[in-house]
Amino acid sequence: MSTDQLTGPDAEPAAPSPARSAGGRPRSGRARRPRSLQARRSGAFYVFVGPWILGFLGLTAYPLGYALWLSFTNSDGLSPNARFVGLANYREVFTDPDTLASLARTGLFAAITVPLTIVAGLILAVLINQPIRGRGVFRTLLYLPAVVPPVGAALTFKLIFDRDSGSANGVLDLLGINGIAWLGDPYARYVLIMLTVWGCGNVMIISLAGLQDVPRELLDAARVDGASQWQSFSRIILPLLSPVLFFQLVTQLIMTLQTFVPLLISLDPSPKGVGAIPESNYLIMIDVFAQYFANGRYGYASALLWVLFLFIMLITLLVFRLSKGAVFYSVDPEQTKPKTRTIGDK
Amino acid sequence: MVLARRKVVYMLLVAAVVLFLSPFGWLLITAFKAQSELRAVPIHWWPHHPSLDNFQQALTLFDYLGYARNSLTIAGVYAVLITLASAWAGYGFARLQAPGKRIVFGLMLSTMMTPQIITLIPTYLLFAKAGLVNTYIPWVLWGLAGAPYLIFLFRQFFSNMPKELEEAAIIDGCGQIRIFWRIFLPQSWPVIATSLILSFSWSWGDYISPALLLDDDRTTLSVKIATGYVNEHGTGLYHLIAAGSVIYIVPVLALFLILQRGFITSSATSGLK
Repeated sequence: MSTDQLTGPDAEPAAPSPARSAGGRPRSGRARRPRSLQARRSGAFYVFVGPWILGFLGLTAYPLGYALWLSFTNSDGLSPNARFVGLANYREVFTDPDTLASLARTGLFAAITVPLTIVAGLILAVLINQPIRGRGVFRTLLYLPAVVPPVGAALTFKLIFDRDSGSANGVLDLLGINGIAWLGDPYARYVLIMLTVWGCGNVMIISLAGLQDVPRELLDAARVDGASQWQSFSRIILPLLSPVLFFQLVTQLIMTLQTFVPLLISLDPSPKGVGAIPESNYLIMIDVFAQYFANGRYGYASALLWVLFLFIMLITLLVFRLSKGAVFYSVDPEQTKPKTRTIGDK
Repeated sequence: MVLARRKVVYMLLVAAVVLFLSPFGWLLITAFKAQSELRAVPIHWWPHHPSLDNFQQALTLFDYLGYARNSLTIAGVYAVLITLASAWAGYGFARLQAPGKRIVFGLMLSTMMTPQIITLIPTYLLFAKAGLVNTYIPWVLWGLAGAPYLIFLFRQFFSNMPKELEEAAIIDGCGQIRIFWRIFLPQSWPVIATSLILSFSWSWGDYISPALLLDDDRTTLSVKIATGYVNEHGTGLYHLIAAGSVIYIVPVLALFLILQRGFITSSATSGLK
């Protein structure tokens, strides 16, 4: 199916000029005008990469551009006569107290969950990396929560923290403490944090892979030199692991800023809309959703979306700069040789 | 000394496992309870009359299997298309040269980080304008575009294959498409399997896209179990939510346990890039 799309005329405009001059077809050996092997290869490259470029333009760039355009209007998505309002929406993003509150809440949530998730994942990885029996079993069992689809995870936590039937209040009852309305304000935020940290299996696996790449000789040498366990962890393992952890920091941060599951844990199953979410879990994506679909403020919501997008891009760029490509470098097939070394030198 | 340390490690790991698996335990216990037991004071730590009734009701309160079929269709079509499309693009990045390749590759890598929800909402607005809401066409389009992460996986795999493979084929007069289809793709089955599993589970677990794009009768299981288990007053039926969730989660966990090697390796490489 994808082949049809490729050789079709649509594939052409997306590809920059070299592709066009070479023709979309790789089997153009018998074409009327003979072309160099070089040009034919370029053509082939764009035949193969063209669908992705098209998809990127149509499903990522164009929607983002559309949202950018919306963000300068007062569109409500229905009436056709949306007016251009300049930067008014952006000004509102940075002055509206509700938006600022949900931005701050999201920032705080990220500042708590991201380090917690990474530290929890790292601790589990270090434990599993010890020379004990049954490591594989522990690894599998601890990774299991990360495999559960988000909806399943959210519903599970909803059952645990339900006021009447949940086990959380059951435990409190055993301790002689009165039950808590976990899914309401202000406790819902702690449930959300626990739910997020529960899925730290990915960080664990990635850290474990990093730990296993630490050269044995280095650790042996350190032991011979009389380094303590803690010293070899903090002075050798941690620095070697830093690019991996750094990368985790970025991906976790980006994921956390987009958190949308609270919609599911703290709502009744009947879809009442995002308005029913307790304030302590009213994160920025919930706000964006509500602005679009409950308030119909497409212009304002798009501005909010763009502010978030730019913020996330900024973080990503910053990290790429800071890590100086060490992370990607290590598996670049053109330079397969320097593997852990390059990471370590950083 | 060493033995004592091992004991501590064991104890910590067992404690972590108990803590991490206890949510599943409570989910199962709730799934076997009668509705009347949910309000019991003090709480019932174990179902007094465990039965499979909840599971039967969970399957029939709405057309559970019908929604499962919707999920399977969407996830299946999406997984196959996105795997082929990603292999296709990955081959281009791995084996072909062209001016502008570095830029396109950089763009591809940077989109790996693009926040999905942020593009999803405007994409939904555009799909709505184009009349694609409540069809499965968006998943076909998403599939055909490939996913940067999977493209990267295929690219890594194809890059490491020997040059002679391709050169012999070129001498035999094979075009690039045939080289890809006949020689490279069949060799890459480990990546294909990984890609199929990953993309299938993304789609199976996805909540937001179907919630936005599909009406109640065509939606997927993820959306339906989150919203479907209510009584006539709109109150949640927690025993059924539990049973329905168990049926929803177990296939995923089973798939993972069977294929865990691939799952875990692919997850690890994703972080080490």
